[in-house]
Amino acid sequence: MSSTSTVVVAQPSAEAQQNIACQRAKVRGFVIKLIVVWLGIFVTLGVVFNLLRFDVNFMFDRLDFIIEGIEYTLIVSAAGITVAIILALIGALGRLSRNPIANAVATFYVSFIRGTPLLVQVYVWYLGLPQIGQQLEAIGLAGAQKLLTLPAIPAGVLALGVCYGAYMTETFRAGIQSIRKGQTEAAYSVGMTPSQTMRRIILPQALRVVIPPIGNDFVAMIKDSSLVSVMGVWELTYRATKMGRRYFRSLETLTVAAIVYWVMCIVLQALQARLEAHMGRGERK
Amino acid sequence: MAPIIKVRNLEKCFGKLYVLRGLDLDVEVGEVLVVIGRSGSGKSTFLRCLNFLEEPTAGTIEIDGVVIPAGEPGREHRAHIQQIRAKTGMVFQHFNLFPHMTALGNVIEGPMTVKGMSRGQATEIGERLLGWVGLMDKRDEYPARLSGGQQQRVAIARALAMEPKIMLFDEPTSALDPELIGEVLDVMKRLAREGMTMIVVTHEMGFAREVAHRIIFMDDGVWVEEGTPKEMFEHPQDPRTKDFLRHIL
Repeated sequence: MSSTSTVVVAQPSAEAQQNIACQRAKVRGFVIKLIVVWLGIFVTLGVVFNLLRFDVNFMFDRLDFIIEGIEYTLIVSAAGITVAIILALIGALGRLSRNPIANAVATFYVSFIRGTPLLVQVYVWYLGLPQIGQQLEAIGLAGAQKLLTLPAIPAGVLALGVCYGAYMTETFRAGIQSIRKGQTEAAYSVGMTPSQTMRRIILPQALRVVIPPIGNDFVAMIKDSSLVSVMGVWELTYRATKMGRRYFRSLETLTVAAIVYWVMCIVLQALQARLEAHMGRGERK
Repeated sequence: MAPIIKVRNLEKCFGKLYVLRGLDLDVEVGEVLVVIGRSGSGKSTFLRCLNFLEEPTAGTIEIDGVVIPAGEPGREHRAHIQQIRAKTGMVFQHFNLFPHMTALGNVIEGPMTVKGMSRGQATEIGERLLGWVGLMDKRDEYPARLSGGQQQRVAIARALAMEPKIMLFDEPTSALDPELIGEVLDVMKRLAREGMTMIVVTHEMGFAREVAHRIIFMDDGVWVEEGTPKEMFEHPQDPRTKDFLRHIL
């Protein structure tokens, strides 16, 4: 049944509106059920912990000592991600380079570091480097041992930075390669050299592409920073295990540490979402 | 006057694919040459060889006195390519504007980065050109907010900002909605009337009829026929030319 009307239809029909309201109610219902299940999980955990005589007071008393570790965790992670980004930029350009030396070195770096466990690398920085220093000292390089026996925090920063740098190299490389060839061609046709093109046209665009993965890597590094506890950095995990062992309350201290990591990650992920939304504001969807 | 573009024995292979099969061409200063042909005939490849976005496999290209033979050694080659690119400007089918810069930013990028001009000088040139293509009011917009026709006009302004002697157009309107083609063709016609040497790969025969001095038909990597628009449209000689024109006119 058609009506010959020249009026623009401003609103959906009553039937359509009813269906929309019905859909909304279903989504709301689902979310409410989700929240109920989460509450159920927490309540169950609470009951179980109570039965196991989980010492909550102990947790609150010792909170300060463990939480001080956040500072070290953040410092090591922030410095680590900075080192990683710098290495990744150099590595990506190397991987894309037509210079055989640059390309070979970069490819070796990526393959080797990605192919070995982070924990092993941490131990190499912590135990292996001083040994190299000792040998160099023995063959006459004065001061080598002192130089190569790094304090815990710098060693931790280097371990994390070098490791994540290798993974990020591939991310940066893919980001650079994701920029359409037409951009390079337009830059060349205007007379730009390859390095001007990379600097002014490709890298600025590639940066926007790689910021989400880097954000993810930073959140991951916060958690991997727990590995530098084996070097003796007084970050979260170190403090939690130390305190746990001393008072035979490892479950409590580790729960505190776990919750702190969890909260940090939630906060960082929220900030990252904000950043991505802000950066995407000029994009046509 | 010597031709500003001289191509001799140009050949281009992509691996086993033999695309450009020995091309010779002379283009005079101020000439508007339209290149037509089926897709896959090699027209874009030919155009892209002129500013070395594609490396010729054999042959010699001479542009405004800069001679580049195909097998030239690295360092001289790169210097020569830079010289040629300084004399040519290219407009692409998909515009290729820099999305992280405004319209004005796109236009002044070349003069500033390549020629070392100050922002003030470059902006003067940029604004004049944006005005010439009719987009002064969009100077601070990002490409994502411009229509296809507007983007292409900015792209033309960007190429002109480097003061090229030759403008190369690679199917400039093929990616545009029909109602936007006219505004771009108008700018190109004005450019032609002002005496710019232009090589245009296009299917827009109306444009060719109005401003082209010569039309050249390419098929399977060789020139098949050439002539003035009148000659080509009214009395094509070669059967392949006739066949092709029948489909597009």
